[in-house]
Amino acid sequence: MDAQIVVVIAGAILVFAIIAALIFMRTAGGRFTYDTQRGTQPRATEGEGNTPGVAFKGRFTMLTAAAGTVFAAIFTKLWSMQMVSSDYYEELAVQNQTRTVTTPAPRGRILDRNGEPLVANRASLTVAAYRDLADNEILVRHLANVLGMPYTAVRRNIIDYNQGAQSLHTVASDVRRSTIAYIQEHASDFAGVEVVERTERMYPHGSLAAHVLGYTGTITQEQLDAQEETTEGDGSQAGRIQYESGDIVGQAGVEIEYENLLQGIRGEQTVMVDATGNVTGATGAIPPEPGSDIKLTLDLTIQKACEDGLKRAMQVAKQFGHNNATKGACVCLDCTNGEILGMASAPEFDPSVFIGGVSTDDWNTLNSDEGGHPMVNRAIAGEYMSASTIKPLSALAALKYGIMNESDTVTCTGWWTGLGEANGKWCWNHSGHGPMTLKSGIIMSCDPVFYEIGKGFYYDEENPEGLQAMFRAWGLGSKTEVDLPGESTGRVPDAAWKKEFFADWDDADRNWNPGDMANIVIGQGDILVTPLQMACAYAGIANGGKEFTPHVFLSAVSRDGSGDVVTYETKERLTGDFGKQSDIELVEDALVGVIYDESPSQAAHFTNLDVTVAGKSGTGQKNGEDDYSWFVVYAPADDPKYVVASLVEQGGFGNEASMYAVRDVLGVIYDQPDTAGTSASDGSR
Amino acid sequence: MAQAQAAAQSADALKRVNRRTSAARGAFRQSINIPVLLAVLALLAYGAVVIWTASLTIPEASFPRHLLGIGLGLFAAVVCWRYDFRSLSNYSTILLVVTVIVIFTPYIPGLSWNAKGMTGWIRIPLIGLTFQPVEVAKTLTVLFMAALGAQYNGHIDNVHEYAKLCGMLAVPFGAVLLAGDLGSGMVVFFAGAVIIMMSGPKREWVLSTIAIIIGLVALVLALDTVLDSLLGHDVLLKQYQINRLLVFIDPDADTTSAGYNLKQSLIAVGSGGFFGKGIGAATQAGEGFLPEAHTDFVFALLSEEFGFVGSLVLLALFAALIFSTIRIAFKSSSLYLKLVAVGIVGIWLFQVLENVGMCIGLMPITGIPLPFISFGSSSMLMQLANVGIIQSIWRCRTKSA
Repeated sequence: MDAQIVVVIAGAILVFAIIAALIFMRTAGGRFTYDTQRGTQPRATEGEGNTPGVAFKGRFTMLTAAAGTVFAAIFTKLWSMQMVSSDYYEELAVQNQTRTVTTPAPRGRILDRNGEPLVANRASLTVAAYRDLADNEILVRHLANVLGMPYTAVRRNIIDYNQGAQSLHTVASDVRRSTIAYIQEHASDFAGVEVVERTERMYPHGSLAAHVLGYTGTITQEQLDAQEETTEGDGSQAGRIQYESGDIVGQAGVEIEYENLLQGIRGEQTVMVDATGNVTGATGAIPPEPGSDIKLTLDLTIQKACEDGLKRAMQVAKQFGHNNATKGACVCLDCTNGEILGMASAPEFDPSVFIGGVSTDDWNTLNSDEGGHPMVNRAIAGEYMSASTIKPLSALAALKYGIMNESDTVTCTGWWTGLGEANGKWCWNHSGHGPMTLKSGIIMSCDPVFYEIGKGFYYDEENPEGLQAMFRAWGLGSKTEVDLPGESTGRVPDAAWKKEFFADWDDADRNWNPGDMANIVIGQGDILVTPLQMACAYAGIANGGKEFTPHVFLSAVSRDGSGDVVTYETKERLTGDFGKQSDIELVEDALVGVIYDESPSQAAHFTNLDVTVAGKSGTGQKNGEDDYSWFVVYAPADDPKYVVASLVEQGGFGNEASMYAVRDVLGVIYDQPDTAGTSASDGSR
Repeated sequence: MAQAQAAAQSADALKRVNRRTSAARGAFRQSINIPVLLAVLALLAYGAVVIWTASLTIPEASFPRHLLGIGLGLFAAVVCWRYDFRSLSNYSTILLVVTVIVIFTPYIPGLSWNAKGMTGWIRIPLIGLTFQPVEVAKTLTVLFMAALGAQYNGHIDNVHEYAKLCGMLAVPFGAVLLAGDLGSGMVVFFAGAVIIMMSGPKREWVLSTIAIIIGLVALVLALDTVLDSLLGHDVLLKQYQINRLLVFIDPDADTTSAGYNLKQSLIAVGSGGFFGKGIGAATQAGEGFLPEAHTDFVFALLSEEFGFVGSLVLLALFAALIFSTIRIAFKSSSLYLKLVAVGIVGIWLFQVLENVGMCIGLMPITGIPLPFISFGSSSMLMQLANVGIIQSIWRCRTKSA
């Protein structure tokens, strides 16, 4: 571009110069004229005098003037540079010699409610390099020898396509100090090899609560771009943390949810460097500000109990022949304030694989179907049919909308034909329960009682969807607003939903029919809930209606002691709907009855507890799969405090799997382990 | 009476002493031009200080070697001062031959010396000293061109004669360019051009020549771009030479060495401010940002250390030297010596303009030293020899018997 302009200008000057030269030559030749009148002496028309002395004087004046011009030009330029613009150049000179070096701030720790660290930090000396270094085979081989690693491994780490080309790739973590010293002493041999002191996440309890805690990782390009956009949006973000490429940020769970508390503010130091970049001195330094420690509502003991209980439940399920019982969730809530005391999800994963960048193989395993998607927190993201655990809510709806009264009875013969013989439905107990009231219907989990309710709602003129309204009023079908990312909504199906969801079906098939109603009234069919939603609903029942927003965050303490203590303010999420106070009392009584009266084998697991327990089992049926095992309890029944909900995918009946999980959690809470042996279920649901 | 006689005698004696001393002083003034001497000595001292400070951080800038250069140079100056250069006016052809031979000495096997990628050096056999012959060639060209120009007795009436003179200058100029030293070639050209202009051509010819030269330069630049792209390699000008020119036009155009050098030089000069950063406190040169701080970019180092004041002192010394030399040329009765003196003025003026100008972004970057200041014995030796020639011209300014 520039070169072309120069050529064009030069060409123009050339043409002009040649023309000018020709004209000058011509006129100069014509200046000698012969004057025929005054003689034939040629007359020079030059301005200079004729005598050499005068001529030389003129030339010397010109030479002096030329020299003067040179000095004047230099003087002027020097004046402008050294007098006028010297501040500008001074700044450039300072910029030349200074570099800003950032020191990472340690992330805040994550503690349980008693201050026991669940996630801590650990300093790690890391050898890192940019991808270009892989081209230098000799250096990489040398580095591999020094680190005591195979050459191919070092090379692979340097190339590492999982990380951006511009970021520092970790070659080796936790390098010995002596090795680091050797590398630093021979800096010229290891040009391009960087030694970084990183603080890495440490998990003192391994994979415990991994789903709640989440994990950290290098900030992604999308996250950086998102930051760019929000910063552009409003410039008043002075106090915000500015992320740079290579920063470690939360990527899941509490780590991402409370990123702005956990993330520290990196320190900056201005260092003086020479032309080759060697540091020659240091000036002002802003020390890094560590992130705040976060206290979670989790109780280490209860969290452990949830995980161990869930494991035992799955193990018991396998004993009963449910070999696919490998996934599930178990939640323990404090129903008086919504604090989540324990939250387990299976399968689990080890968050430490994310330290220093997760390998492709690990990542693929963590996201594969074969691996069972262990990173999914099934307690909040798993959507399951609620099965019989929903029956208390169905009962409340029936009472409120007058579909059924306390005293009404339904006779269960084991085969319900309320919608005609062709559409007959089995009770789980094919031999029938005999005459059932609403309360005994809940206790025995008698399906025909609820089929009648479903049918009643379907044909009710005023409140055909009163059942769904009741479900929603207790928080189903909407997020619990728990402070964890990735929560699912669940689903409370109704006529409008069915029409829209099966849009490509025939109109006849898309119509809401009494069968749909009979399905959702017992928690089958298209209804979907998360274990946390059920735990919250039962917390509401235990509280006489009041549901608190479930949460894992308890408080935050600034590590340097100066920051404010942030404490979670308990929020009331909703108050569950019911008709009369006696309605909810009936349901509460029935739930106690479920535990102690439904079946002796089930009661045996709870009679050895001092506290009275209320709860409900559930067995979700899915075509081609083993049953989904549910159990939700709260205790003590007379003054509820703890709610425990458990689900085991393909775990069989409620009391074949999940019951062991909730019982174990209660056992740990009250320090009264379950002494009853595992016994085959009597089939009660 | 006796008293009066005695008084008269003593007065006579006093007069005699006075006359003798004034005659001695006069003889000294007669043979040595004081302003030039003082200016040069001051420049040498100034340069020595600057090189000494450079030697603190730049290992190549050896202060003893600089002093050795000054010593050799002063010796050469004295030799030149004692020599009467008028005798050379008749040997123009011999001078031309010698000049061309000197320019190509680096290509003579056994003499040529290439190290660190530099060309244009010779290594004198037996002594083992290295030298840049092109520095000698500058002075020889002045002597040779002055010899040619003096033939016309201050007035060139014939355009053919003028063209011949220009053609003669093109010989050493072209030879230096062939030897690959554009910067020195420009010095030779500028000095020769000053001599030609002072030899008395018509002003129109000079202006036309300048126009033609500008046109030719433009043509070369244009052809260079075209030929390079056609043939795929550097033909007329080397790429780094083009880069330097482009960088001069736009300092940010080239981020490679040429642009970097210019930028660092500008920063060094500019950040010097009024009083400078002081001896040893020049961060640009001291921390290695400024390349060639002791040779080509010595003015930037000087400016950074001594600021605007220091730069002005340097310029004032050069101005004193150059204007005094012009005065010497003017005073000289020999046309040949006049032309030799203005030729040397041309050398100095151009080297100061180019070297200082390149440091402050006035001129494109070329590698020529700042007379009397830059580290480098070849330049120091020959510049002091030039001073010797000027002093010789002063000594021989009246028509000799």
